[in-house]
Order: sequence, then C-alpha cells, then structure tokens
Amino acid sequence: MQFGIFSVGDVTPDPTTGRTPTERERIKAMVALALKAEEVGLDVFATGEHHNPPFVPSSPTTMLGYIAARTERLILSTSTTLITTNDPVKIAEDFAMLQHLADGRVDLMMGRGNTGPVYPWFGQDIRQGINLAVENYALLHRLWREDVVDWEGTFRTPLQGFTSTPRPLDGVPPFVWHGSIRSPEIAEQAAYYGDGFFHNNIFWPADHTKRMVELYRARYAHYGHGTPEQAIVGLGGQVFMRKNSQDAVREFRPYFDNAPVYGHGPSLEDFTEQTPLTVGSPQQVIERTLSFREYAGDYQRQLFLMDHAGLPLKTVLEQLDMLGEEVVPVLRKEFAARRPAGVPDAPEHASLVAAAKDTGRERTEGVSTV
Amino acid sequence: MSEESVRAGEGRDALRVVLVSAGLSVPSSTRLLGDRLAAAVVRRAAGDGAGGTDVIDRTDVTQGADGAASGSGSGAGSRNVEVQVVELRELAVEIAHHFTNGFPGPSLAAALRAVTEADALIVVTPVFSASYSGLFKSFFDVMEKDALAGTPVLIGATGGSARHSLVLEHAMRPLFAYLRAVVVPTAVYAASEDWGADGLAERIERAAGELAGLLGGAGARRRAPAASPAGAAVEDVVPFAERLAALRR
Repeated sequence: MQFGIFSVGDVTPDPTTGRTPTERERIKAMVALALKAEEVGLDVFATGEHHNPPFVPSSPTTMLGYIAARTERLILSTSTTLITTNDPVKIAEDFAMLQHLADGRVDLMMGRGNTGPVYPWFGQDIRQGINLAVENYALLHRLWREDVVDWEGTFRTPLQGFTSTPRPLDGVPPFVWHGSIRSPEIAEQAAYYGDGFFHNNIFWPADHTKRMVELYRARYAHYGHGTPEQAIVGLGGQVFMRKNSQDAVREFRPYFDNAPVYGHGPSLEDFTEQTPLTVGSPQQVIERTLSFREYAGDYQRQLFLMDHAGLPLKTVLEQLDMLGEEVVPVLRKEFAARRPAGVPDAPEHASLVAAAKDTGRERTEGVSTV
Repeated sequence: MSEESVRAGEGRDALRVVLVSAGLSVPSSTRLLGDRLAAAVVRRAAGDGAGGTDVIDRTDVTQGADGAASGSGSGAGSRNVEVQVVELRELAVEIAHHFTNGFPGPSLAAALRAVTEADALIVVTPVFSASYSGLFKSFFDVMEKDALAGTPVLIGATGGSARHSLVLEHAMRPLFAYLRAVVVPTAVYAASEDWGADGLAERIERAAGELAGLLGGAGARRRAPAASPAGAAVEDVVPFAERLAALRR
C-alpha cells in the first residue's frame, strides 16, 4: 500500500499571526514538503493544478520535474490534472517527458476542476465537463499507446499522422487515477479502462465515499479487469497531530475556525465526526485511517492533506515527521495484516513494465530485459 | 409508529406525505396550517368526507422518529396515508452548514431523503419580505436537482394580513414549477384573521381533495430511495462505450 501527501497549493494567511506567505515561499514550501515526504519514508507526493489565485501550482510538471531531480524514490503525482481544460496532447507530452526524467516515478490523477471561470479562460464550456473528460482522456489514452494517431473528435482540432513525443518510458504509459467526488460517470470511466479511482473524501461523509467506491468496484469487475476487491482505490484524508490529543485540538482550532475551507461552518468536533478530518494523537490518526477500509474495502493509496488551513511550513514539516515515524509504519503493518491475498498493490512503473512483458504487448523500444 | 397504525398499513403500502413547515415560533400558525392540511389530506385519501375528526398521528422526521399512519378508510378508493413532518426550524443550522460544506449533516440528510421519497408534499411557509422565507427557500436550494420532479405538492402560506396572499401564486408556485413538481390548483393562504373567519376550512378541504386525487394515481410513482448525494447507483450508470460513442462524429 502506498502512503503519501497531496497539496492543494493554496496561499492562505496564518490566522494566528495574520501573515500570508508569498507565492515564492509557498512554491518552495511545497517542494520542501515533497523532499520531507521522501526523507520520512512516504511513497507519493501529489500536487494540485489551479489557474486562479490564491493557488500557486499552475504548472505541475515543472514543479514535479524539479522535485524528481532532488529525490530518489518518491512517486510524483497530481491531485488533479485538469483533463477538461488542458490539451490532452500536451498532457501526453508533459508527463511522458517527466516519466523519462524521473525514471518512471510518475503517475497522475485526472480531474475535471470545479472552478467555473477556468473553463472559458481555456476556451471550454463547464456544461461539457463530463464529455470533455471522456473525449480528452480517450485521446490521451491512445497517444500513449499508439505511435501514430489519426484522430477526430468534438472538442479539439483533428490530428493526422501525429506522434506524441517522447514516447512513454519503456513503452509503458504512466498509471492513471481518475479523481471524482460526486460523479458516477467518472467512476464508470476509471472502471472501463481498468485505471485507478481516487475518491477525495476529505469533505465528505463515509457513506457517500462508500457508494462511489462500490460503484467503481462493481463496474471494474463488469469490464473484466478483475474482482471488485482487486480494483485500484485511493482515498484522501487530512490530519493534525500532537502527542496529546488535547494539544492538537488546542493548536489546530484557530486554523480550523478561520480556514476558507473549514471555518465559519460546523464546529471542529462536528466536522471531525462527519468527515475524515482527524485532530488528535498519532494513535487516533492510525485508528481513523484504518477504519477507512471498513467502508472502502482494502485499498491501494492513502494520501494525506497536511499543509492545510494556513499552517506554517515549520509546523507541517513536524507533522510529516510524525506521519513518517509514528503513523505510516504502523499503518503499513496493520493494513497488510488485514489485507486478504489477491488484493494487488497500486501499479508502479516496474510492475507495469513486467505486466506488459507478460502479456506480450510491450513495445520493442527501450524495454530492458532483466 | 403506533401498533394500530402498523396494522392499518399491513399488506398495503401506506402512501407517504411529507409536511415541510418553515414556521419559526413554537407553536406556529404556519405549522398549524400545515397540520390542518395534512389531516384533511389523510381524511380525503381515506375516502371520508369533509368534517371528519383529526385522527392523524404525526411524527417528526427531524427528530428521527418513525413515520406514523392514519386514516384507515374502508371504501374502494381509500388509501392509507402516512404523514411525516419536517420542521425547518430544527434544521436551520445544518442547512447553513450544507451551503458552506457541500454535504448535509445527519438530520438534514434524513429530511432530504424523506422529501425525495415522498409520494406527495405539503409545504407551508410564513410570508417574509414579499416572498417565502429565506429558510424555506434554502431547504429547497440544497435539494438535489430533479428530486421533486413529478411529485404532487400542495402549497400554503401564512401572513399577518390577506395583502400577502398572492405570494402563493407569484413566488411559491413558480418555485415548484421550476422544480418540476405538480402543484395542485388550490393554494391555501391563512392570514391571522382567517383563523376566526369563514372560508379557510373550505379552502383546506378543496386543496386537500386535489392532492388526495393525485396520490398514488395514474402517473404517480414512489421514487427510488435517493442513493447518495451523487445518486450513484449502478443501474443508473450510462455504459462508458455509449458515452464515448455519442461524442464520435
């Protein structure tokens, strides 16, 4: 099972000091968190993609390429890559390039984006969101698997004799997750391709997450990719920890009460009861996270949102130390002990290369024989 | 649910009518109007004439109780009706939180489910600033799109004087028309003075008769339980290949 962090990349004032980081500070902080993630033994760093203030990460592969050069093991991913408003040709190129530079340590998560004006800013119509996700991904899927593509669709200018370069590393495209909170159509899309399904449950009650994941698992089996239990599921989660849970609550409360995404709504107590937000001791975080499998089944990827609500970098780095040292080692052991045989790990580059060789579908170019 | 009402509903599915009341005071005249309308609907559905006693045994969804049934009629056209009450006053905070968070708290989720699954609705609001109250509108703002499509609805409102009565026709009826509900022709307005005057009881009976006429009749349907805020049910999914093919030129 993979454990990692995902960042929205919001520039949010620290409510306890009133200080707002600069864009440069926030971008560098995201990089620092990625490096820390590798240092403390996490598996994945994922960045969001946004095209409006107060968010900084508009150019994910630039950031991930920089992180790739400074890490050895960390898988670089996105949360999410906008399949609606980005040109699928550019996604194919950018992420194949990143794959080569990062020696295969790359996957990505498709998302539609829910910021209305971004669609017209990029020449699209939000009412076509699902259709854009369907058509653009179908093209992206082909660009990574067919050397020469002739294509014509509804939303993009046609392609004749187009080859997306560089070709995917070892002829194996990056693994793709499809992220959706509310849309059964996207769970269906992930199932159709046998791709991963990520439910970002951080603002949602468990029963909703359960239904979306069950739908994906049922359709994954329907399309013959395996049993429902073998479908590839990822979940979010967000935490704030201190050794004593009372200290965690006391320290986090002013952040919760003022954060744009949490504040001025339900109390911290109600919110933690109704969503995955956990504010407490490392042991409480362990117990809460282990409980996710009770409604989502045994799953493959757990991403934590740690740099939320305007917390300063120093605090978030401390949080990552606790996550890496006290929480994730226990979670790895406990999840493994509970997981039945036959539930696969999340695909990574090496396993995808091996699978491609097994089925004899690998391209000849660049396949290393072991 | 009382023992008696369980027996009354035995072997025959009771129709579910949900009363949504936006009255704010306790007791409230808006709720009083809603209760009178509900009792009349139960009577009319049971096939009793006007003027029967109020035998309705209500429960409050917002307090998590089971629904109760009444009106066990004996005529050929008689129907058992179970009335559930949604008091928006008790949901005011969860409704506001739904706006800021994007998902309903437990009590609001139960109320939304009850309304979505209802065979018919009775909705009543006080008149505020020339329209329904903000709380009333907010409840329907957080409902899933299409949740009320095809649902028979009886609309009612209360106010200090009869000057506000056209709020029913100029605000309430368009709202439910937009939601594609089936609004019965008679809307019932009760000004303070109506509680001591002739006419209100007759309007209540007429409106209740119209709603009872639509209950479980041709075209009526018991909606499938709302699966989720996303409505994610496997049988509803359009197979991916169909969706993709629709985009091919």
